[in-house]
Amino acid sequence: MSASTALNLGSLCSSVVNLPTHYSHKPSLLFHGIQSQQFLASPNTVLKGFNGSSRRRWELSRKVKRAVAAVDSSDPAEKQETERKKYYFLVANAKFMLDEEEHFQEQLFERLRLFGERNKEQDFWLVIEPKFLDKYPNITKRLKRPAVALVSTNGTWITFMKLRLDRVLQESFEADSTEEALACTPVNLEFEKPEKWTAPYPKYESGWWEPFLPPGSQTSKV
Amino acid sequence: MAAEMALLKPITKFNTFNTTTTSRLSNRRLPFTVRMSATTTPPTSKPTKKAQKQGIKESLLTPRFYTTDFDEMETLFNTEINKNLNEAEFEALLQEFKTDYNQTHFVRNKEFKEAADKIQGPLRQIFVEFLERSCTAEFSGFLLYKELGRRLKKTNPVVAEIFSLMSRDEARHAGFLNKGLSDFNLALDLGFLTKARKYTFFKPKFIFYATYLSEKIGYWRYITIYRHLKANPEYTCYPIFKYFENWCQDENRHGDFFSALMKAQPQFLNDWKAKLWSRFFCLSVYVTMYLNDCQRTDFYEGIGLNTKEFDMHVIIETNRTTARIFPAVLDVENPEFKRKLDRMVEINQKILAVGETDDIPLVKNFKRIPLIAALASELLAAYLMKPIESGSVDFAEFEPQLVY
Repeated sequence: MSASTALNLGSLCSSVVNLPTHYSHKPSLLFHGIQSQQFLASPNTVLKGFNGSSRRRWELSRKVKRAVAAVDSSDPAEKQETERKKYYFLVANAKFMLDEEEHFQEQLFERLRLFGERNKEQDFWLVIEPKFLDKYPNITKRLKRPAVALVSTNGTWITFMKLRLDRVLQESFEADSTEEALACTPVNLEFEKPEKWTAPYPKYESGWWEPFLPPGSQTSKV
Repeated sequence: MAAEMALLKPITKFNTFNTTTTSRLSNRRLPFTVRMSATTTPPTSKPTKKAQKQGIKESLLTPRFYTTDFDEMETLFNTEINKNLNEAEFEALLQEFKTDYNQTHFVRNKEFKEAADKIQGPLRQIFVEFLERSCTAEFSGFLLYKELGRRLKKTNPVVAEIFSLMSRDEARHAGFLNKGLSDFNLALDLGFLTKARKYTFFKPKFIFYATYLSEKIGYWRYITIYRHLKANPEYTCYPIFKYFENWCQDENRHGDFFSALMKAQPQFLNDWKAKLWSRFFCLSVYVTMYLNDCQRTDFYEGIGLNTKEFDMHVIIETNRTTARIFPAVLDVENPEFKRKLDRMVEINQKILAVGETDDIPLVKNFKRIPLIAALASELLAAYLMKPIESGSVDFAEFEPQLVY
């Protein structure tokens, strides 16, 4: 693996000194039009629990409920109906989250497989350049961009993932819908090949994260 | 330091695949108390030596069975005494283990026996050795985890349950390996092993360092073999390797638990003593694996790997992972580190060669002395190499200035 990965805190320290305002990667920011975000399943995964059309119906019904709540937000009964959920996330720069931590990829696929086996609806996503980051200036000022967040409604699992990944920032927020929570700005990600590769196997391919991206994410037109 | 294996007797000593691993086995998963029986002995075996094998022979490189100061363990995890144990992390780990990702994973099929029958000649012996050593390693941890699960029930039920679930995992692993051995008409007498083996006593602190490393190194070994064989399927001579991808995630999770255990006892991570011990355990684990594997290079070459390259990759990655928690790790990517390892291999080979001669034991020991001194000197030099400062961001004083 690349020797330039954040192995030691020494290197993290030196990044304090240099404090890049923008990432020095190659990734270019390309704003797509309407992102036809197909839910691309990788060959390894079986996405049994996920049904795109039913989710859309469910999200529509939530939008309706939210409209109702807006009318009289002080009524607790109405508030319950908005199904405001808590979303927990971990965030770090894209290179770390998507390129360097190969075990992370394995974990996510393992979890997806498990959800499929047990017919559980997916409750975790990878969000590239999430819009919710705008609410966290304390995080964004310490974040190399583009950034990627692991988001889930399962806070306990996020705590475990923090333990595993360690070099990430952890926070949570509430949102009325998954759509709102996972809104993001599309970015075309390209990672440089590592300088040093010691493994007797090839690196995992880029784009592995597709199955974990939010479904039908809205994008802004440029 | 020879690691000999007796096929004809109940298991004696093994150098494992997974050096200081502590893996465990549940009795309920193990109906296998079949004694080891002779199989079609491959031509390269040394019948005279094996026939002479009597009791259990231990060496520094042998995989160990561990025991610890259980009273001290209880004190460490007593929630009444330690008010600042990170309950959230342990709860999260408990949930993760309860999830039981591999509940339905370890299922065999007829491919196993068919493949085993095709493995003949020298490779057969090598394979059996690999299975035995791995099984012993997994089983070793089982015993420790099960005991810890039992002992900590009252003092910290969450941590106790995690230990029990880990012993469940190791049970599966060891059981699966033992069933693999049956494909070769052998089985480990684990009941005998439990009673007859010597147990190494490690204080709790050392259990944490050693087991963390062995679990994480186990993950990297398994996943490296798996991914290598995925890219080079012609070397997959036995189906067990296909299970490694899911299997190794268990090992990785076990390591995470030890990571949390250490974080719950910051005194194991935050001072100069902790740094010295961290480096010591890193060195022992890496060197043990390297020496063991170089003695068994036929196995790795048999599955298409270059043994030293494989080991260096595993060491580098394990070290990188370990840097997430240990306050100091070794500079394994420094070319001098590998040079030292290679010199140790040569010295070790000479020590083994002395053992193979026909001299009387006194003469042998005499000849070994300068060699052992040379080995110790290389080890010390490796230990004294400039380490890399490391650790979890949760404990970094300068964390507020970090950029993620």
